Amino acid sequence: MYMMGGFGQKLHDTFIEGDRWTYLTNGLKITLIVTFFASLLGIVLGFLLAIIRSTHDKTGKLRILDALARVYLTVIRGTPVLVQLMIIYFVIFASFNVSKIFVAVMAFGLNSAAYVAEIVRSGIMSIDNGQFEAGASLGLSYPKTMLFIILPQAFRNILPALANEFIVLLKETSVAGNIALNDLTKGGDIIRSATYEAFLPLFAVALIYLAMVMILSRLVTLLERRLAKSDRGN
Amino acid sequence: MKHFGRKAALAAAGLMIAAMTGCAGVPANTVHTADDLTGKTIACQLGTTGYIFAGDIEGATVEGYNKGADAVQALLQGKADAVIIDSEPANVFVSKNAGLQILDDPFAVEEYAIAYKKGNSELGDKIDKALDELKADGTLDEIVSHWVGDTADSVSYTPDPDVERTGKLIMATNAEFPPYESKSGDAVVGIDPDMMQAVCDKLGMELVIEDMAFDSIIAAVDSGKADVGVAGMSVTEERLKNVDFSQGYATTTQVIIVRAD
Repeated sequence: MYMMGGFGQKLHDTFIEGDRWTYLTNGLKITLIVTFFASLLGIVLGFLLAIIRSTHDKTGKLRILDALARVYLTVIRGTPVLVQLMIIYFVIFASFNVSKIFVAVMAFGLNSAAYVAEIVRSGIMSIDNGQFEAGASLGLSYPKTMLFIILPQAFRNILPALANEFIVLLKETSVAGNIALNDLTKGGDIIRSATYEAFLPLFAVALIYLAMVMILSRLVTLLERRLAKSDRGN
Repeated sequence: MKHFGRKAALAAAGLMIAAMTGCAGVPANTVHTADDLTGKTIACQLGTTGYIFAGDIEGATVEGYNKGADAVQALLQGKADAVIIDSEPANVFVSKNAGLQILDDPFAVEEYAIAYKKGNSELGDKIDKALDELKADGTLDEIVSHWVGDTADSVSYTPDPDVERTGKLIMATNAEFPPYESKSGDAVVGIDPDMMQAVCDKLGMELVIEDMAFDSIIAAVDSGKADVGVAGMSVTEERLKNVDFSQGYATTTQVIIVRAD
């Protein structure tokens, strides 16, 4: 499609001219920071929500917290993450000049938590009730049974689903450009807006996301193998 | 545990209310001339000439929003110190938000033109000829004065019903840029759509408008998805590498919007 000379020129204009490749490397850094901390927030809040909801399901306690958790899940899962991001940036933090990275971490973390919560809850509910009874018969309290007996088994079962959630999260952060956060996708957009050349910046951005997801998948496979090994050791 | 739940809910509600009403005030305006922009945070629409100019300001942090309106929102909320944007949309934004003002320093003067596929001089010549005629008979002035200034309530351009139309002219635009183009219901309205309708009446073609992101317009014209790009677009060196431009049809200035003192 391109003449060789023309293609070389476009490569030069897209990446070399004015050090434009740094838009992609700096953008990648932001994307990874946002994804990492949003995942952390998602895991912590998601596990909390899941424990509240499954404790209510199993024991009938925590009625108010369970109701709050349900509302949270309904609202977060019922609205697009881009709208949530804009609401947090332009409405909740309307008169605060907060860091955009913080806003993005909050938006994607709070969003992810809702999905993590349902994944973890499905994991907890999949563990046989006999395990709770076994814990109780050993004299362990309910929280200790949950922490030391139920969650470790649940975690192994839900690992593939959790990994999937974080792959989705990594790619979902690509809408962060709407609050003028210079993430990886925005880096490509900035290059595109300067060169008016669509092919190279978009493919470069796509390849970087693909590489990140492949690395993430590989790490999860390794972790799954580790957990399977320790299972055999028991 | 029940007790804890109620307390947590109360705390969360309190936090929300505090955030919504805004405990922290928006900082006072610190930009009074173009020179004050050094080291400031400047919000722009990504891909516009304002964005390119802002990048040349020493020590300034340039934030590229997808819409001019989002950049203005960020300015209003104290997330940015200034917005650099074309003067006509700036007037619209300022007229709708009491807390804003436009600095007297114009930032740069430029001319809007119609982009078409590189090398398609056949279309380019036809457009230039049509623009010559529209300028000569006063149609272009009428269109502009309908959308800006005191006669804004007069009737907008109406397409000539007697023209025989063969073929379509696809116009790529970004309907976020009043008064040049904005959305009214499902239609894209403004100076650019009216002017292109008048051009199409001269060419004997049917006008089709495609609304897209501003930074996609040149790519759309370059790849043949659209015949022309008309979006209050000025001629820059980088743009000329990918598309050709007609003669200019409007002169505009880049201005600086800041919060009112």
